Amino acid sequence: MDIQSYISSGKLELFLLGELTEREREEVLSLAKMHPEIQQELDELEQTMFAFDNMSGAAPSQEVKEKIFSTLENDFILKEMPKPTAVPAGSKVVPINSPWKPFAIAASIAAIVASGAAFYYAGKYQERDEQFTALLQDQSVMADNLNQVKQEYEQKDSQLDKMIAGDFKRVEMRGEGFEMQKDAKVDVFWDQNAQEVFIAVNKLNELSEEFDYQLWAIGDDGPIGIGLVKSEEKLTLQQMEAVAQAGAFAITIEPKGGSKAPTLEKLVVLGEVT
Amino acid sequence: MQEEQLIAGLRAKDRKTTEYLYDKYSRALYAVISRIIFDKDIAEEVFHDSFVKITRKIEHYDESKGRLYTWMANICRNSAIDKLRSKEISQSGKTNTIDDFVYGMESQSGTQEHIDGIGVRELMTDLNDDQKFIVEYIYFKGYTHSEVSEEFGIPLGTVKSRVRAAIQVLKKNVARI
Repeated sequence: MDIQSYISSGKLELFLLGELTEREREEVLSLAKMHPEIQQELDELEQTMFAFDNMSGAAPSQEVKEKIFSTLENDFILKEMPKPTAVPAGSKVVPINSPWKPFAIAASIAAIVASGAAFYYAGKYQERDEQFTALLQDQSVMADNLNQVKQEYEQKDSQLDKMIAGDFKRVEMRGEGFEMQKDAKVDVFWDQNAQEVFIAVNKLNELSEEFDYQLWAIGDDGPIGIGLVKSEEKLTLQQMEAVAQAGAFAITIEPKGGSKAPTLEKLVVLGEVT
Repeated sequence: MQEEQLIAGLRAKDRKTTEYLYDKYSRALYAVISRIIFDKDIAEEVFHDSFVKITRKIEHYDESKGRLYTWMANICRNSAIDKLRSKEISQSGKTNTIDDFVYGMESQSGTQEHIDGIGVRELMTDLNDDQKFIVEYIYFKGYTHSEVSEEFGIPLGTVKSRVRAAIQVLKKNVARI
């Protein structure tokens, strides 16, 4: 694949702005893992975005900082423990002998009961607060999930629109007659006018890490690679690159990332356009 | 502090690490919010909530899915956009533009802000009109690229390449200043 044109497509910027669908994000991440140039570009772009943000605005006020840290106060587990006030060693206990003694004792008892209650409710409050925070977290995880489902739904919806509105021809590609996988079956849907190609995997074995399935459109100029096939996604539509003219479609097994020309010994399925 | 160390400290709910995070990133993260939300009080409220959310959601942050700053900036950006679109805040008659932002910053008292305002203006030099438009809508108005495409009838591919071109210019300017 052409790494430079991938880098300059603008996709990495949208990745950093958080605007890609889950599937596109996965694609960027796995490509970045394979190609250090992409990872480096991502890192540089992130630094640029940070520098731009850091240089383009004023600092938040001191008040908001104090407010944030007071909100977070109870979250810090490792916060400094208050030192217990120890009675100095060797101090003598002087017996109290005054008419106020009963009142002093009563007052002390009241104080102890009140502090006990205070601690009890503080503990309860803390507990509720934690439960509440946990609920909030759950809720935001659910919102994220919902968002993801929504994006997937929208994608499917727009695919469906295309399928209904377009003039798609179905080309069945089968593995009979080839060595690789006799029962392999993949369908191509091709709209010749719009030049759009989708495929749906019906039966295709999983490949090991270092290989990919690659789809070829075989036309007057010979086979042209039009994208990698995700064999794990069964019976969903995968959009491939545009094709204007083809007499047949075929899938071969190629080294990870695909090849410029098909490895014919590893032809898996073939289907002619009727 | 290394990023891994920082993340480990945040997960351990360590106060010092949280303070470090604040010192290093508060200005940038607040900028992400305050250029979308013009009102200083509301911007600070959103910043407070976002920063608290960041420290509390750090368990959910997955290092393999992107860097820490990107994750934090996206939380701030999304909260700001949510706030902007909620009923609480009406920006009627207030169009967030780069010029308003610069003017707003310059008119605040204090030299620090004054310098910052000039920073924004300098960072924006050499952007052509198309790129300036993109930065304005995406950074200052909180549009997504598909919203820009839909609303102004610009093909998605063109929006993407303009985003790329604009950030390349910003990259040069950031390095220069």
